[in-house]
Amino acid sequence: MLMLLLALIAAPAQAGQPAGGPGTRADTGPPAPAGSADAGQDDEALRRELEKALGRDAAAAAGQTSSAPPTQAPASATSGAAPPAPLFRGAQSLNPDISVILDAEAGYQRRPLQFLNGDDPVLRGEEGKKALGFAVQEVELAFSAIVDPYFRGDVFLTIPNLTGLEVEEAFATSTSLPWNLQLKGGSFRSAFGRQNGQHLHMQDFTRRPLINAAFLGADGLRGPGAQVSWLAPLPFYLTLYAEAFSLGAPEEPGPGTTLAPPVASFGGGEPHDLTYTAEAKAFFPFGDAWSVYLGLNGATGVSPGLFQPTDTGVVVLGANRRSYLVGADLYVKWKPPNVAAGYNSVAWQTEAIWRHLDDAEGVPGGWDGGLYSQVVLQVARRWFLGLRGDVLGIPTSSSLGQTLRGSASVTFQMSEFARVRAYVEAEHAASGPSIPGVSLAAVQPGDAVAAFLQLEISMGAHGAHPF
Amino acid sequence: MRRFALLAALALCVPRPAAAALRVVSSIPTLGSLAKEVGGDRVEVESLAKGYQDPHFVEPKPSLMLLLNRADLLLYVGLELEIGWLPPLVLGSRNPKIQTGELGNLDCSRAIPVLDVPTTKVDRSMGDIHPQGNPHYWLPPSNARIIAREIALRLSQIDPGGAATYQKNLAAFNARVDAAVKKWQPMVDKVRGAKVVTYHKSWTYMSQWLGLQEIGYLEPKPGIPPDPDHLFRLIQAMRAEHVQLVLVEDFYNLNTARLVAEKGSAKLLDLPTDVGAKPQIKDWFILVETILKQLSSAI
Repeated sequence: MLMLLLALIAAPAQAGQPAGGPGTRADTGPPAPAGSADAGQDDEALRRELEKALGRDAAAAAGQTSSAPPTQAPASATSGAAPPAPLFRGAQSLNPDISVILDAEAGYQRRPLQFLNGDDPVLRGEEGKKALGFAVQEVELAFSAIVDPYFRGDVFLTIPNLTGLEVEEAFATSTSLPWNLQLKGGSFRSAFGRQNGQHLHMQDFTRRPLINAAFLGADGLRGPGAQVSWLAPLPFYLTLYAEAFSLGAPEEPGPGTTLAPPVASFGGGEPHDLTYTAEAKAFFPFGDAWSVYLGLNGATGVSPGLFQPTDTGVVVLGANRRSYLVGADLYVKWKPPNVAAGYNSVAWQTEAIWRHLDDAEGVPGGWDGGLYSQVVLQVARRWFLGLRGDVLGIPTSSSLGQTLRGSASVTFQMSEFARVRAYVEAEHAASGPSIPGVSLAAVQPGDAVAAFLQLEISMGAHGAHPF
Repeated sequence: MRRFALLAALALCVPRPAAAALRVVSSIPTLGSLAKEVGGDRVEVESLAKGYQDPHFVEPKPSLMLLLNRADLLLYVGLELEIGWLPPLVLGSRNPKIQTGELGNLDCSRAIPVLDVPTTKVDRSMGDIHPQGNPHYWLPPSNARIIAREIALRLSQIDPGGAATYQKNLAAFNARVDAAVKKWQPMVDKVRGAKVVTYHKSWTYMSQWLGLQEIGYLEPKPGIPPDPDHLFRLIQAMRAEHVQLVLVEDFYNLNTARLVAEKGSAKLLDLPTDVGAKPQIKDWFILVETILKQLSSAI
């Protein structure tokens, strides 16, 4: 199987090309001189002969560096056309595109943020105390380049809250596989849902939704793994994804912590226990302005259990239970392509995740879930208003209590490369999870507010984002 | 791995469409229109952006990946005009033929004499600039000829069987351009030397062809929306220089431009810049003629 994959990656691009029967055109070979065009029927035989010859060459050259297949676009000076005049095009460089994105805040919170994401701003507040001050939410370093005719490479390093350098993503994506297939390998964000795949600066709010930390993990569902995806040859856009990850358990809470972190869905079990996901994404345009993007998601792995801080250390409850996640996401956008009448747009995004944890010793299994729904209105060329509602604990379970959160954001986009955002949230935590006979405090019940003024700047050449 | 094998097997079962015309997908409709001139019946042409859309800002809708997935040749303006939306579409198309470096990927700027190439160190305090030069080059006849020639060349390489046809069509296109340029000459003469203000710095190539004098721009810097201070200075300059026309692409909001034109005692023209900007603008000839007619009748 591995050999097949390697062969596919290195196969010349003509394999599996949909257009043109065999021998109608030499799509990717070196250009034939004009006039000797209709070689026709012999092409296929020639192609086979060439493949054979190249196979012999490759065998002979084993151990040496392989030569690139002749797929580069040749210079335009063939066929008698006048060669283009020499042009000044600035300095060429084969360095990857490098960019840096900074998210910095001034903020206030009445108590430490709950369901904290790895890329949330931290104001160093302690339990029961208000905090007011500054935070550097994240510094992201991005590197991306076309690697060779077969791969594109992307590396995203982050420094959340000045704590240390993390690899948010580092992966290769295939560009030349036949049959509408694409492979991704390295460490990357899963295609599960919509917000999980997006970096912080793609978010319309300062904090990620509650379901992220509650079900996917503080850093989202990301880690070393492999992904294969397939674009279905249908009249509408449908792409299917399958992924496998080796995820580690989250860190145990340090001494002095009294609140248990949310039960992690993945990262438990033996080192050979992988996390598997499957996703389907479908897109439907309606006219020029309306877009509907739908996703169905599933994942399964092994939960490392509930880390319960006690005076004598951390007690782990319900470790190594199998977890199942199912999710659905919907993104509806209205944005007319012609902005002469104004720069208005509306984007509505909703995502739900339900989780099942099996029974474990002392901890009953069951279903829990959560969702968020958000609307972002573009009211002028540079102004965006956002509203979001979050619900966790539908239903509540032994692992998850109920939490409600409402948030609002006002974003002023100064240019494509800088924006300022005001963000407020109000949270109501009804109760923590409950296990009969065990005292748990995964959330601090009660109401709390937080507000942030966020500055986001982007420097350098940062790759375009998908829809 | 079993899952992969299953997917691969599924992919193999899908019937292939019969061999037909080459499928050309262009980023903006004008490039597709030029490809149709050269390709004739041997090509089918579709465009990702609409002619009435700002080509800097196109939503990278996944449905566009489907168009690219089936493309034999991708034509784009280059010079980073489409950098904000085209790369993820090309990657997501899963079409090896149109990736950069392949025959099916043609940056149409490759032989264009590019204007506004920065001669000093650039940074984004200068706005959303294009470090490789001004990408709004597809309107003047000299550049249309170059684009058509590059497309003909590439089509001949992809489809050698049609090389003679492409050369013949290219010659016919060039002859039509010659005739059109001759026909347009009185209009060109009439507008020569006219002083204009434009919204975005996207008329440079037309100004060079037509001898227009660009006195200023509504945008203080490329991609930065107009602000009152800048517009005040612009209107002063317009009055001092007796600017005759304010040129705005038909995808910008006209309210500000209308005010500037009125205060600066100039005429406002909202002009198409792409095939398909209006339903009747069906090819490059109609596009350029429409612009010339509007310009010359406003002088």
